[in-house]
Amino acid sequence: MTAAAKRAKACAKLMDDVHAITAAEGITPSALHAIKLKLVGLAKRADLFPLAEFAMPVSQGRNHPLLVEENDGHGLYLTINMPGKEAAAHDHGIWCVNAAISGRERHEFFRRTDAGDMPGKASVVKVGEVMVEPGNGMAMADHDIHSTVVVGVEPAIGLALYGYALARFPSVVWYHPEFSTTRASPSRRHAA
Amino acid sequence: MAHTPKRHRLTIANTRQTIDCAGNETVLYAAIMAGIDFPYACASGNCGTCICHLDAGKVSLLPRGDAALNPEQVQAGQTLACRARPRGDVAVTWLGRGRK
Repeated sequence: MTAAAKRAKACAKLMDDVHAITAAEGITPSALHAIKLKLVGLAKRADLFPLAEFAMPVSQGRNHPLLVEENDGHGLYLTINMPGKEAAAHDHGIWCVNAAISGRERHEFFRRTDAGDMPGKASVVKVGEVMVEPGNGMAMADHDIHSTVVVGVEPAIGLALYGYALARFPSVVWYHPEFSTTRASPSRRHAA
Repeated sequence: MAHTPKRHRLTIANTRQTIDCAGNETVLYAAIMAGIDFPYACASGNCGTCICHLDAGKVSLLPRGDAALNPEQVQAGQTLACRARPRGDVAVTWLGRGRK
């Protein structure tokens, strides 16, 4: 069996496990933790993810779909981000679980502190951080806020599982403490 | 002695304003700090909302996602204000939210 066939089988098994977890208890903190452990387990299987089968980014960040469910289901991706690649604090409106294959990506978590009553204005405070590196992952609920940055000199290669496929993401809300602003990217829920 | 980044002139055609932008600042940062209503969302090289045309000058680009700015766009003279640091005096026209 080729690596691609083994990978497809393992990804399908993961998705079956995810559905079994969420069917039993919904999207709860403990369910997301259980899903994270499953994803970390899959990411440890380096033989399934030979780098030669995944193109590197043309710039510094690229996602490869591994399993995107039909009927508005989940999306599982292999992500490659180069050193220094970052994402400002954001809430992507849907739960997400990450696990590292190689490299290191720091995730910082934030809580919004303003009342949300001034359009375009917001303030956030950092409430924690996790280093996503081999053997470790992170899980976040629908409206958690996180930022990411690839640290060190190696690319961060990992698995990312989202409640919706990237092509059908809700509006992503971005937070910029340096400007005390918030901005939203358009929803893709109507598309695809 | 601390190194002081060189300052450059940044012209934003949409608003016909010219402001200062240090070599270690992005075009977007300088514009926002100057009170210019430059379109942006992620401000970190992921969404492409701040895409603009580089009308004059050269910039260095910070890391960004492939989906935010592709090589054909770079070839066509486009850049991301949130990732672009000036290497000299520059002029840009933002392309998002309609050209003003």
